[in-house]
Amino acid sequence: MRRLSLIIPIIAIVLVGLLSSVFVVDERQRALVLRFGQINQVIEEPGLNFKIPILDEVVYYDDRILSLDTTPIEITPSDDRRLVVDAFARYRIADVVQFRQAVGAGGLRVAADRLEGFINPQIRAVLGARGVTSNTILSPERRALMDQITEQAQLRADDLGLEVLDVRLKQTNLPDQNLTATFERMRAEREREATDERARGEEAAQRVRAQADRTVVELVSEATREAEITRGEADAERNRIFAEAFGQDPDFFEFYRSMTAYERALRQQNSTMVITPDSEFFEFLGGSTGTSSPDTE
Amino acid sequence: MAGNNGGPWGGGGGGNRGSGGGNNGRGPGDGQNIPEIDEIVRKGQEQLRVLMGGRGGNGRPNGSGDDGGGGPQITRGTVLIAALVVLGLWVFSSFYRVLPEQRSVELFLGSFSSVGEPGLNFAPWPLVTREILDVTEERSESIGNSRTNGASQGLMLTTDENIVDIEFQVVWNIADPAAFLFNLRDPESTVRAVSESAMREVIAQRQLAPILTVERDEIALEVLELIQATLDSYGSGISVLRLNLDQADPPDEVIDAFRDVQAAEQERDRLERQADAYANRVTAGARGEAAQLLEEAEGYRAQVVNEAQGEASRFLSVLAEYEQAPEVTRRRLYLETLERVLGDVDLVILDSEGQGGGSGVVPYLPLNELRNPRTTTAGSSN
Repeated sequence: MRRLSLIIPIIAIVLVGLLSSVFVVDERQRALVLRFGQINQVIEEPGLNFKIPILDEVVYYDDRILSLDTTPIEITPSDDRRLVVDAFARYRIADVVQFRQAVGAGGLRVAADRLEGFINPQIRAVLGARGVTSNTILSPERRALMDQITEQAQLRADDLGLEVLDVRLKQTNLPDQNLTATFERMRAEREREATDERARGEEAAQRVRAQADRTVVELVSEATREAEITRGEADAERNRIFAEAFGQDPDFFEFYRSMTAYERALRQQNSTMVITPDSEFFEFLGGSTGTSSPDTE
Repeated sequence: MAGNNGGPWGGGGGGNRGSGGGNNGRGPGDGQNIPEIDEIVRKGQEQLRVLMGGRGGNGRPNGSGDDGGGGPQITRGTVLIAALVVLGLWVFSSFYRVLPEQRSVELFLGSFSSVGEPGLNFAPWPLVTREILDVTEERSESIGNSRTNGASQGLMLTTDENIVDIEFQVVWNIADPAAFLFNLRDPESTVRAVSESAMREVIAQRQLAPILTVERDEIALEVLELIQATLDSYGSGISVLRLNLDQADPPDEVIDAFRDVQAAEQERDRLERQADAYANRVTAGARGEAAQLLEEAEGYRAQVVNEAQGEASRFLSVLAEYEQAPEVTRRRLYLETLERVLGDVDLVILDSEGQGGGSGVVPYLPLNELRNPRTTTAGSSN
């Protein structure tokens, strides 16, 4: 049957025609349908859609949040301490029609360039504004500054049909030339601190030593005083004992003590005495009756 | 071929048969009136056959479409087989499995329909497309540990305009697969950028000294919360699991100076301790000396008093004796003492009045010799 042999190509053509008249917009996308270069449909919701094959052209746009990292720029806040700053921005296409009209067929690449083109000046403007010093940037006010930049960027981004979700500062660092100076300063501060520590250690040590020395002197001198007192008391006691004892018979004491003294003084083996026999010791030397003079013999 | 009833089906079947197919009965002479249309139709049939994957098995353009051999049964059988194969392929691509650490996101005609759990899932192609994501797998971004031009990438300014060298890691996974897929175009670089920005923001609000020492945990927590909040504000579907603050050190260029401060602190400790040791030693010595002095004094006292008491009581005993017979005792003591004394001493007794006669002796005392105790005898006077 000739019809059958014609049916297949016809079916094929129909299928192809059908396939080219439907298109799917993904959750992640939006689409514009252009007919003869004019915008015919704007599809913002995902799903199946229809178009005229061949005549209509579908252009897809990413519906997701897109990112942009800016190139680092050098800014001068009002205290003249230059900083190198870069940021990243998150944005999305808010209005597809406006986006297409603004950007044309260049798409996101063009958009990113244009976006960076007015984010960087905004950064410069906000961070270089009067009243913003490098200290402000390095403080909890940083968040407020970033919000300001975002707001300003958003105003300009509207023209492109973009929505800037936020602009956040990444690095806020010193330019390379200033790094060395900062390192020097950090080093000097540390050195000063180290010297300070050592000096304080010395001072404390000296104080402790001095105090210890003083305590030593106090202790020893007190003890010496006590010792002398004790010795004095002992001597007094001794004298008292002697006076008490010897005072009972001073006369006998004199005799007795002299005897002891003679014994102690003369009892050395190398003494020589020259005496006369007059001494009482020799009373009986001359005779048995006990007189000292030889006349009585 | 024009007259062939096999038609296009037959041509396919004929090709399957492999019956050569050289049976082009027709020649250019047949049906001369409508050759072009025939040509067109034949070509169309051939192309269709080729389109059908050469199921005919006969790719040669010369392969005749009109093998009259295959009848309708064969073609239907072939169709059935073809249909089964197509069905099989379709089933194969519509059922898919999801591993335990994964989830799948199913899109019905492009619009989000559901999240698939681990196991076997069904997504009829082409109506439902799917993407499979590793959700529980931990991914990490390391920031600050690379160097460009010799300077670490992790140098950050603090609020007191000092520089600190930070290295940290952010560990994250996917909490919401649908959000993750649909909301951010490049999640990894977003996580990196947000993390770096958050860390720098937190560091820029703190001073150097605490960062190096006590505030590390605080900082890690604060940065993690900031990152999570920011990512949530994008609807990223990302869950930040951990933030590891690997390094928070002074920059390499100044780290020696910092170490010196530590060394100085230790030295201060050492000096103080040395002084304390000295103090302890010295005061202990003094206390010992003091105790010794006191003890010595007491000892002296005891000695002196005891000696005095001894001497006194000795005297008193003798006195008691003496009082009973004073004269005798006195004389006795005298003689005893002199006996002892003169006994040990070299004596020279001079009789000063001479004996008998009147001539006195002129005493001659060789005092020098007398002073030598053993070499002299008592000089005698005669």
